Amino acid sequence: MTTQVLNRIPAFLIAFTLLASGCNPPGKPTPPQTSGRPEAVTDFNVLYAAHCAGCHGTDGTLGPAPPLNDPLFLKIVPDTELVRVVTEGRAGTSMAAFDQKKGGPLTTAQVKVLAEGLKTKWGKPGGPTDVPGYLLTPGGNVEDGAMMFAMACASCHGDKGQGGKSGELRVGAINDPAFLALSSNQVLRRFIITGRPDLGMPNFTEKTNRPHNFSTLTAKDVADLTSLLNSWRSPATK
Amino acid sequence: MKRILKAVATSVGGWFEARLRLKPAVMPILEHPIPAGAAGPKGWWYVFGSASMTLLFLQIATGIGLALVYVPSADQAYQSLEYLNYRQPFGWFLRSLHYWSGSGMVVMVVIHMTQVFLHGAYKYPRELTWIFGVLLLLLTLGMAFTGQVLRWDADAYWGVGVGASMAGRVPVAGPGIVELLIGGPTIGASTLSRFFALHVFIIPGLLITLVGGHLWLVLSRGISEPPVPGEPVDPKTYDAKYHEELKKGKPFLGDAMTKDAFFSALVVLVVVTLAAVIGPKGPGGLPDPTLTAANPRPDWPFLWLFGLLSLSPAGLETFVMLAFPVVLVICLLLVPFVSNRGERAPSRRPVAVLIVLVGGTTLAVLTYEGMTSPWSPKMGAWSGDTIPTAIVKRATPLELQGAAAFQNKDCRNCHALDGVGGRRGPDLSTVGTRLTRDQLIDQINNGTPGGGNMPAYGKHVRPAEMDAMVAFLMSLRPPGQPPAKVALVPAPTAAP
Repeated sequence: MTTQVLNRIPAFLIAFTLLASGCNPPGKPTPPQTSGRPEAVTDFNVLYAAHCAGCHGTDGTLGPAPPLNDPLFLKIVPDTELVRVVTEGRAGTSMAAFDQKKGGPLTTAQVKVLAEGLKTKWGKPGGPTDVPGYLLTPGGNVEDGAMMFAMACASCHGDKGQGGKSGELRVGAINDPAFLALSSNQVLRRFIITGRPDLGMPNFTEKTNRPHNFSTLTAKDVADLTSLLNSWRSPATK
Repeated sequence: MKRILKAVATSVGGWFEARLRLKPAVMPILEHPIPAGAAGPKGWWYVFGSASMTLLFLQIATGIGLALVYVPSADQAYQSLEYLNYRQPFGWFLRSLHYWSGSGMVVMVVIHMTQVFLHGAYKYPRELTWIFGVLLLLLTLGMAFTGQVLRWDADAYWGVGVGASMAGRVPVAGPGIVELLIGGPTIGASTLSRFFALHVFIIPGLLITLVGGHLWLVLSRGISEPPVPGEPVDPKTYDAKYHEELKKGKPFLGDAMTKDAFFSALVVLVVVTLAAVIGPKGPGGLPDPTLTAANPRPDWPFLWLFGLLSLSPAGLETFVMLAFPVVLVICLLLVPFVSNRGERAPSRRPVAVLIVLVGGTTLAVLTYEGMTSPWSPKMGAWSGDTIPTAIVKRATPLELQGAAAFQNKDCRNCHALDGVGGRRGPDLSTVGTRLTRDQLIDQINNGTPGGGNMPAYGKHVRPAEMDAMVAFLMSLRPPGQPPAKVALVPAPTAAP
């Protein structure tokens, strides 16, 4: 019995080796897509996972930083602005500069892959029309902003932005000086327009949790609201 | 058919034998008697040495195959490995076999030594066999290290760097040793040539010579009989007793050799399977010192040492690097002189069993530590490891800004959230229940007092960022738990 088994071992080994090498066994390595240098990586998903996901979330939502997987945001943000912000970051906020020329870890080509890839990956046609522009506009009236705040925002954020409740959801203060110091007027304007769909904040036209007489915010309303929020900043950061 | 084949084989074999006359030289070796006990079921304890040697032969065969393609020069080695991996037919399999067979050889040598140690087989008259065995272990590890260097990737590059830095600490001779080892004061063009020569000529030469000596000793002094409790070794009477035992002995060619062959075949089968299923190791990142994202780790036989060095206090570093290995090797070499007589059975040698248990556990724990290396910051965590979505969903705007600042300030590289992130500092998933607002601000501003683990970040954090981060950290509590009012753990005190 033992000798029979032993006699078969060589044949079994040879058969196994042939089988293992002949087809494609799981151990056979596949060539890497790049030469191994980090600056040679040009795959959007790889770059996003390594450099953006930490703040903007794995799939571009539910990170502490503004969601990038937001079709409305991607619809209105200019391409040049995306490239600029990834390149040099946003001063005063937690958005870091990512281009090597600005002290970041990525090459200009990689920054381009990221900035352009956002719209390819998450941009969607359709959505609301007559959306106010993304970039900050001069002007804006604080008093008008306060009136608009009472109608469009206060139901969740409280009369003076001190926070409140939206259903079961706790809504934190947005008049907090530290919060405002770390938020650019640009990002405030963006949230007024796009909301934070991943966290349940409605955009400029949605009626969720808003009074019946709420009507879609106009470009002037958005500018007024931004001015109001800016007026809440402590003097040093205005 | 079978009969014809046998007749052909006999006549061809006979023709050669008539001219070579090998039989009188080889047959006595194959048929030398071994103790009857070693030919029975207990003979399975004796298979590890021959399995090590089988893997050595496999290493030589695959190594020669690899040397046909591998280019031992700093600028082409990596490319030649990629060529082997992706273009040369079966090149990847050859690399894979060489890696897994080498790993298997380390495993088999260690098991073989453990068995010999537990069974007291190193005692009189086999002290020299043991000493040759210790040297063979060192040479096997030498092959593993130099082999890792030939896999000229980031691990290899930094591995040489660490090895050379350790050698450089040797008093007086240090710089000379470094120069000899890496062919100059820094890793350069001739470094790889040196390690190639070590891996392909010098160490294998010594290895084969010592294996010859080891085998000669096994043949000339015979293998030890299986230990029996209550039958101690006494150098005065042992030889006569062993001689008597051999009279009842069995020839090696037979049961014992069959067991050896069976086990070696099994080991080779496992190696082949691992090679086919898991595949070759590396090459990993490019061997380029300008790539700061490298996270080098030694191959597994050295992870315990990596763990030990990383966990040792700074004051002990030089001792652990230079004196400790020497002490360890001297201890191993002294084993047969400290106890070359007396009981051999493990059941009568509690100290020996304890040494194996403690030693094995220590090696396993240090290897685990080396593998996980919680002391290393995870340099890509700040931008790659996400804040758990459950935390984001319940966070206020200020806490969200704090979380973003927490990532932006690289806190995550040392501090995990829900187990994800660096592990150099504590996991902060529930820090809000442990530290008050004041304590958090103090910790971030001033770091661990007395120059401890955490640096002071006060100068790198603006007041608004501090407010936001502390609000975020205070919010890190399991649902329903209040924030810390009086800390549950005392405020950190200066290290003694």
